[in-house]
Amino acid sequence: MNYRSVIFILWMAVIAGCTVKAVGDPNRPITINANVVVDIRGLKKTAVGIEDMVAKGA
Amino acid sequence: MKRFISLFFLAALIFLPRGAQAENYDLKQITPAVQQAIQSRQARFSQLQHLKQQGVIGEDNQGMVKVLKDLPEVKNIAAGENQDREIIYQTIAEQNGLGPVGIAKVREIFAEVQRGKAKPGESIQLRSGEWVQK
Repeated sequence: MNYRSVIFILWMAVIAGCTVKAVGDPNRPITINANVVVDIRGLKKTAVGIEDMVAKGA
Repeated sequence: MKRFISLFFLAALIFLPRGAQAENYDLKQITPAVQQAIQSRQARFSQLQHLKQQGVIGEDNQGMVKVLKDLPEVKNIAAGENQDREIIYQTIAEQNGLGPVGIAKVREIFAEVQRGKAKPGESIQLRSGEWVQK
């Protein structure tokens, strides 16, 4: 593996970690119907903890 | 070129781990207002559960309770519960530096937790806005 390949792989890793690029027709946005909320940074765990505290302390 | 590669590795080591080490969104400090809100919620919890099982109150998709059968005394209970929940959501948003989008996410996640905790037969509002009985 030459240095160009190494640089390319590292560069792709950096880009992949930082950027999400959407492609497609802007007039036909993709719609995803889901009843599951994506957790962000453990917020769901926090919510569960608080609601458990409310229920257990009752 | 070797120097360039070394610098690149160094930059990767410095910048890449930051995302992985990001702190969790949490209630970092239980303020007196949050403490009071939690205690008030604990005090009305059994009553609220009873009303939910009767189908008088349901859990909406914004992390709040909603009165489904119009009874004056129930309105007061729901208003108090929602006020206490709002204090908790606002505090989490403030302590984690979340903006308006962030607090909307806080509400959504608490709503999802409430849907998960709801017992069979209780009314819950799905993310789509549709009300169903669990």
